[in-house]
Amino acid sequence: MVDVGLVVANLVYGLLIGIIYGIATVGLNMIFGVLKIVNVGHGAFIMVGAYVTLLLFTLAGVTPPLTILASMAVGIGLGLIFYYLVIKYLVDAPELATLLATFAIGVLLQEIVKAFMGADSRGFTWNLGNVEVAGVSVALSKVVAALFSIALLGIIYLVIYRTKLGLAIRAVVQDREGAMVVGVDVDRIYAVSFALGIMVTVASGSILAMYLQSGIHPYMGEIYTLKGFVIAVMAGLGSIPGAFIAGILFGLFENLSYVALQSIEGIQPLVLTRSIAFLLLLIILLVKPSGLFQR
Amino acid sequence: MAGKTLYLGVGILIIIILVAGVFMMQGGEEQATQTTPQEAQTPAAGAETGTKQEAQEAKTETQTEAEVETLVIGAPLSLSGKYAKEGEMSLMGALAAVKWINDNGGIMVNGKKYMLEFKFYDDESNPDRVTSIVERLITQDGVNFLLAPYSSGLTAKAAPVAERYGAVMLSHGGASDKIFQQGYDYLVQILTPASRYFTSVLDMVKAVDPEAKTVAIVYKENEFSRTVAEGARAYAEKLGFEVVYFQSYPADAQDLTPVLQPLKDMQPDVLIGGGHFADGQLLARQINELGIKAKLIGILVAPALPDFYENLGEAAEGIVYPSQWEPGVTFSPDTTPQGYEWYGPTVDEFIKYFKEVAKERGKGDIMPSYHAADAAAAILFLAKAIEQANSLDPDDVRQAMNDLALFTFYGKLKIDPETGLQIGHDMIVGQWQNGNKVIVWPKEAAQAEPLYPRP
Repeated sequence: MVDVGLVVANLVYGLLIGIIYGIATVGLNMIFGVLKIVNVGHGAFIMVGAYVTLLLFTLAGVTPPLTILASMAVGIGLGLIFYYLVIKYLVDAPELATLLATFAIGVLLQEIVKAFMGADSRGFTWNLGNVEVAGVSVALSKVVAALFSIALLGIIYLVIYRTKLGLAIRAVVQDREGAMVVGVDVDRIYAVSFALGIMVTVASGSILAMYLQSGIHPYMGEIYTLKGFVIAVMAGLGSIPGAFIAGILFGLFENLSYVALQSIEGIQPLVLTRSIAFLLLLIILLVKPSGLFQR
Repeated sequence: MAGKTLYLGVGILIIIILVAGVFMMQGGEEQATQTTPQEAQTPAAGAETGTKQEAQEAKTETQTEAEVETLVIGAPLSLSGKYAKEGEMSLMGALAAVKWINDNGGIMVNGKKYMLEFKFYDDESNPDRVTSIVERLITQDGVNFLLAPYSSGLTAKAAPVAERYGAVMLSHGGASDKIFQQGYDYLVQILTPASRYFTSVLDMVKAVDPEAKTVAIVYKENEFSRTVAEGARAYAEKLGFEVVYFQSYPADAQDLTPVLQPLKDMQPDVLIGGGHFADGQLLARQINELGIKAKLIGILVAPALPDFYENLGEAAEGIVYPSQWEPGVTFSPDTTPQGYEWYGPTVDEFIKYFKEVAKERGKGDIMPSYHAADAAAAILFLAKAIEQANSLDPDDVRQAMNDLALFTFYGKLKIDPETGLQIGHDMIVGQWQNGNKVIVWPKEAAQAEPLYPRP
């Protein structure tokens, strides 16, 4: 028998975590869309954002939503540094070179953070009490985290679809040579896009920290690199709103498959949800190989 | 011309650098080889220093009998690598126990007095090193009595080697039950095995609240936690509880809400589980966030660390945890249970000896962790068994261990003759009360009454 209350509860939590997955994937997809580079070090940037929030909150008492701004600044900084130091020279390099380089950047970030912060898993407590969402009691901090994800997506959306800079970015995505001909500084657009992508990723780390408030350690990002890839491929590599929606679908599917699996005797459902999520990916790719939101 | 001199200059420079580099490397190697044996030898000196010490003993004690001999106990210990912290603690605990025994007259075997020596090598947390060190200790150093290395994984590597040579080995850092189901005759366990981690907690609930009926278990999907959870389920059913929920979560889970959600309506009396550090904190946090009510919430490993409260604050309040040992336990000769014999230092004495050893090893003023207590208890159990056997033959000593029932600063020690599993030592139960860890169970060791039901 399926318990209706349980289904609703998992829908709500699936939606919330899905929104977080979504924003955590947008940066990955954006960088691929513009630079055609797969950022294997994606999760490490999420980890950096989580540490920004942890440190600002525990040491300086900055309220977590405000730390998102700090993370955005850190993200732009890191994005520009790594672009001009590394990525710039790899834009047209073979795929393996960019994979290795971004992997190395990820390892570098992990080890730097570990050297300063140690490998211990940390957390903090930012308790706002609980609210009722569709009859399900949810920690308000989780809802706030989801709302900030949507706001962040809104900002990115506006930058890309309502500004001149965004127009230039879209032009480069559509036709690099064409953009160059009409006077777009492609190198600068690459730098800005990479920085923006890293900015969203680091900021999503802050949002994730707000949502979970625990399990913050140098290697926490790896699972999000993995899930990020699944979500990005599901959406179709490159699509920004698509990545967000695919993230929500992934979260919902993970949680709902849990309910379904739970009704089967003798198995451990949470361990199996991930394989179910990958099964979903497989089916989507069979039906629509370019991803859900790719024309 | 100018070009040639430049090349020549650069060439000479390169040669100088290379030569200097080679010399420096050699110097470094020499240093390394010098320090390693020193490290391993000073506290666990070989025959030479041993005789010196004997001579000293003889002089200072000015006894008529010069029949003081040395008995060497050996061990591979992780002083570097991933278990470096735990290995160092184990080492200092073992040294503290050895020191206490020697200061209190050593051990008597066949009318002869023996002083203990502890000989150890750094296994670098590396399974391959463990096997070769055990082999070396037994064949070259002639050691018949060994402490196992730290952790279940390394103990599993060391055990077959000790078994092959018929040397007694005491496991002080391997809580796994599995190693003891392999039929080893010479392996003996000192700490409580994983399958009995929650028995004390359940005993406590039964004693404090006979009305409590339902138990929910939520655990991390790995070998250790599964053994703990299954052991807890079996014991709960034996005590007459009803296990209403038994679910696991993956090792790298970031969100446990799906697993925990059903517990909201279920409202079990007892909720126990967990795994290690990170997931234990997550579990505690999400239990609180979801507003799950249980009269008792018990979590493995994570709550025993001080940063549990730092990270969780209020949510940590009232959470209980099982622990092998805590410096605050109040086991003493006066609380020795029926059928057990007191042996070894008191808790305060142990801490004093430990601190001396820590200072000697340059670790500063630190408190012993349970790893140190586990290793010290192993030394005490071994020493008493040798005395009891009145023989230095490993088979006699192993035999004597079967009948041993010791009560120490570490609590009860008694082994299952068949498997060598520890059946005497019980986990103690700690609880977070007003931001402090206090021991609430067993009664002989308790510092405070358990806070029950959890508010």
